[in-house]
Amino acid sequence: MATTVRIEVGEHGPVPVLQDFFRKLLADESLSGIMIPVHLFGGGMPMPTLVTDPAQLDRADPLAPAFPMSSAKLVSRLSKGSAGERFAVVMRPCEIRAFMELVKLNQGSLEEVILIGMDCPGAYDNMHYRDFLGEREPMAASADFHKALAEGRKPASVELAGACKVCEHPAPQGTDIVVGLFGGDISSGIQIMAASPRGEALLGAMGLPPQEPDGKREAAVAALVSEREVARDAMYASVQERTSTLEKLAQYLGSCVNCYNCRVACPVCYCKECVFNTDVFEHKPWQYLDWAKRKGSLKLPTDTVFYHLTRMAHMSTACVGCGQCSNACPNGVEVVELFRTVAARTQKSFDYQPGLSLDQAPPLTVFREDEYQDTVSHLA
Amino acid sequence: MARRIGVYVCHCGSNIAGKVDCPDVAAFARGLKNVTVSRDYQFMCSDPGQDLIIRDIHEHGLDRVVVASCSPRLHEKTFQKACARAGLNPYLMQHCCIREHCSWVTGDKAEATAKAKHIVEAAVLRVRRHQELHSREVAVVPDVMVVGAGIAGIQAALDVARSGHRVILVEKSPSIGGHMAQFDKTFPTLDCAACISTPKMVAVAQEPNIDLLTWSEVEEVTGFVGNYTVTVRRKARYVSEDICTGCGACLEKCPTKVLSEFEEGLGMRRAIYRNSPQAVPSTPVIDAEHCKMLTKGKCGVCQKTCPTGAIDFTQQDRREVYHVGSVILATGYDTMDPTPMTEYGFGRYPEVYTALQFERLNNAVGPTGGKILMKNGEAPKSVAIIHCVGSRDKNYHEYCSRTCCMYALKYDHLIKDKVGHGAEVYNFYIDMRCFGKGYEEFYRRVQDEGVTFVRGRPSEVVQENGKLVVVGEDTLLGTRLRVPVDMVVLCTAMEARADTTEVARVFGVSQGRDGFFLEEHPKLGPVSTASDGIYLAGTCQGPKDIPDAVAHAAGGAAQALALAARGVVSISPTTSWINPDICVGCKMCIGLCPYSAIEFDERRHIAVINEAMCKGCGSCAGHCPSGAAQIKHFRQVQVFNEIDGLLDRKPDIMALIGDIYETANRAEA
Amino acid sequence: MNQEFEPAILAFVCNWCTYTAADLAGTSRMVQQPNVRLVRMMCTGMVDPKYVIKALLSGADGVLVSGCHPGDCHYINGNYKARRRVKLLNEILPQFGIDERRLRLTWVGASEGNEFAATVNNFINEIRELGPLDVRGMAAL
Repeated sequence: MATTVRIEVGEHGPVPVLQDFFRKLLADESLSGIMIPVHLFGGGMPMPTLVTDPAQLDRADPLAPAFPMSSAKLVSRLSKGSAGERFAVVMRPCEIRAFMELVKLNQGSLEEVILIGMDCPGAYDNMHYRDFLGEREPMAASADFHKALAEGRKPASVELAGACKVCEHPAPQGTDIVVGLFGGDISSGIQIMAASPRGEALLGAMGLPPQEPDGKREAAVAALVSEREVARDAMYASVQERTSTLEKLAQYLGSCVNCYNCRVACPVCYCKECVFNTDVFEHKPWQYLDWAKRKGSLKLPTDTVFYHLTRMAHMSTACVGCGQCSNACPNGVEVVELFRTVAARTQKSFDYQPGLSLDQAPPLTVFREDEYQDTVSHLA
Repeated sequence: MARRIGVYVCHCGSNIAGKVDCPDVAAFARGLKNVTVSRDYQFMCSDPGQDLIIRDIHEHGLDRVVVASCSPRLHEKTFQKACARAGLNPYLMQHCCIREHCSWVTGDKAEATAKAKHIVEAAVLRVRRHQELHSREVAVVPDVMVVGAGIAGIQAALDVARSGHRVILVEKSPSIGGHMAQFDKTFPTLDCAACISTPKMVAVAQEPNIDLLTWSEVEEVTGFVGNYTVTVRRKARYVSEDICTGCGACLEKCPTKVLSEFEEGLGMRRAIYRNSPQAVPSTPVIDAEHCKMLTKGKCGVCQKTCPTGAIDFTQQDRREVYHVGSVILATGYDTMDPTPMTEYGFGRYPEVYTALQFERLNNAVGPTGGKILMKNGEAPKSVAIIHCVGSRDKNYHEYCSRTCCMYALKYDHLIKDKVGHGAEVYNFYIDMRCFGKGYEEFYRRVQDEGVTFVRGRPSEVVQENGKLVVVGEDTLLGTRLRVPVDMVVLCTAMEARADTTEVARVFGVSQGRDGFFLEEHPKLGPVSTASDGIYLAGTCQGPKDIPDAVAHAAGGAAQALALAARGVVSISPTTSWINPDICVGCKMCIGLCPYSAIEFDERRHIAVINEAMCKGCGSCAGHCPSGAAQIKHFRQVQVFNEIDGLLDRKPDIMALIGDIYETANRAEA
Repeated sequence: MNQEFEPAILAFVCNWCTYTAADLAGTSRMVQQPNVRLVRMMCTGMVDPKYVIKALLSGADGVLVSGCHPGDCHYINGNYKARRRVKLLNEILPQFGIDERRLRLTWVGASEGNEFAATVNNFINEIRELGPLDVRGMAAL
């Protein structure tokens, strides 16, 4: 039976109590540091921070509904090669799944990383987090956010990020430790579960009061997932209608200026140098003129739809729907909605669930002799 | 610096010009960007044709050439060589086809000409992005390794050794000779197998150019054609080969008896053993799993008996590394175990034998001293031989094992000869395959000896009243049969060795659908494989009889020698190349490469192509999302340009026809 | 002037099998409609999905990828990789209205000249039925 413990939350709310928990964890001699969102400056965005001094966890806030970037890319940098010491990282389920995909691609390793997954009810995109915060003290705002959700209220007038509203993975999987926020009142207590032998060892050594799992968390997660699936399917239908021809797709991508921010933000777009930055797409002046003459007119920059179609071919099977692409787009292109819709079909066709298991190889990197015979045509 | 492209449109007599308006295509090409010279000519592949190109390269300073003629599969090298003679790197030439894919298959002249223009434009656009490439010459290690010392391996080894090259002959069993050493007589001449193979085995032992490594297996092969590094595991024999005289005294004293593999389970051997008194080498080996000294620390009688002190229980397996230029695989075959075919009773009825077992019964040093005897010590009065057991059978092997009909005839004769003319012999066959020299004549002879041939595969063998009853049907007469016999011999299929998949992986070769090693080409390349420098000899490539195995082995040896004798091998430059600045080290290409030609540089965390092993297939490049891996001469900019050139300049191809007529009219004016 | 739609089709064919079959079809003078133009690849495993996308966005109404039969690939298993890539593309492109019949994967062996000619002609007829992909008029891509 996996160890489940409970940390009591008092009058100061859940955030300090969690900080305390992480302080205790950091005290374990096997851990040299912990990566966790920290409010580094007064207001503003909590950024993933690698903390080694427990005292500096006093502004850590893993409950903040802020999601500035996918820290999967950061953990990749911390674990691509050996640090020589073990450290913990606190991540959302989508970040964990993205990191798993990166591990499969040799862009990170689980060896020295203790994964702590946070249950995630969603977050705001970068612009809207500011609106959500207003002038409030950030950690208090985080506590309010979760309180409102528990009471069935909308925490702020702004909406959660589009990606979060359709996310069916609010609970982390494949981690060492899980911080459970669903199915209970986190203003009175938070349950924390070990989910692996390494997690067991760490949690067991902390001597926290055990809690009998009561199934409430599972039920809450299931209910949330059902809700999200409805929203997700509505999103699919909407996107499919709006992109049912190449022309409509071009229109959907109408404000795209080829800044490639979506690619930079995407945790599973792992290339050091994107092919769209190489000579393959460095066209010559006379080529532009030739194409313009062929068609009568030519949108500049070229290769906008080409880029998105290529990115779909390269990473849609690994798309975990984190929404950082939309978050990063300066012109409000609904990237995650588009990519999730495409990904639903490509992932299903290869029966591939990104981030679920290291044993599932990315679909285009393996093959069998006898498979997908219906892909082959017999035209003779 | 602007490109200076020369375009050459070939008439190929009337083969192209009959449908494609070549002057018009040349004129069209002249109008393309950076085309300095554009000509059409009768026969570009002729000497004057090639001279056109050479002269233009010199006079017009051309730095790229396009030839539009026949299929590049015919003349790409011709025009590449012409460019080289002119001092232009041969890979700066693009050869496109306007004959096989255009003039010869298109009905309408206007359509053919329009298509030819697209093809030429694509080539002109592509060739702009061609880069200079240089073939590499690598020295070839003069030594050859032969893996497997059955008759094929022995033949190959002798052929190579006699040329003066050194051969390392690796054999996993204690002595050489393979399956042929288990046989009694060979068809159709009824030569004694030992008599004809022993001279060759002795020649191997005495040949100074052959290093014979028995009781050894290849563990690892790295490298590439001309430069293979092979790690061989020399298993511990526990008998010193240098000291042992082969007297055999130890063999008699060993108290431990084990079922003998060489006797196909019909006889026993000792824990210290050799396959036969004529074994080459004659040094015995000790079976470490059954020897009392090696498992329990007791006995040691052999060591006490040995007059020269050759027994050494402290020996360990050791590994030796060899450098060779090529490898000839002669690993032989396995016979199928017919136990799963329960209808024939093998393993249940004591008098049902496989073909190899029957060979051992006939062999003079076999378990019955060469007499055909049942397990009760009596000779059988009647024997049934069932053909195609596991062959020509969609439940086991669809192929024909090629040798069984002939050895069945051999058994017919041996039974009549050894047991007596009165012995009843029945062959249950589907077809009689007697294709070789003297084979059909031998069939005739055996028929005359009074053997009964029943055309029809038996459905089962049952036991009744102390006899084995073969239940079958004579399909020529249309009657069902129940034939009681004393002994049944199953012509078991010849199949690929059980470890073929692992061995294939070690050497970088593949298996065909039938499980045997895959030859380079089914008709024109039977002894080579898709991996340069790895050759095949004998039944490891497919079922065959001894004459064919020897011929096949000689062929493999010849090809290995061709490589060794030339001393250098040219590596094509159209291999993959991974840009170290772009590669992020995801390693996915490594798993996709069929030739294990990509290595991972841990320090730089990037993948690196081993150019000598890379065949330029494009699997890595077709996958790499960042375009770090690309095939030289097929880089993405080249293909993109080609695609651009092939597609319409205007939305409607038919609208072009109007333009074509217009252009033609203007040109004439 | 006859302005009926005539498809433009690109075929990415492997050097050892389908390209050889195309040569054979040519030598045997098997008449084909002129709408298919070949891009010579060493192996179907060399076909990058970007080539297909580039072809379709540059004015091809149909794309054929054709190589060796399973088990016969000159480079052992390039055709299996191509099969997965074509499958992926046929999951993505139809979502944007590119009929999956516009991208086809076939196996045509080196000795199958008549199969090559039949494949080409049948594919052209099919694409003609489907109509133009009509990106050629699109300024924004």
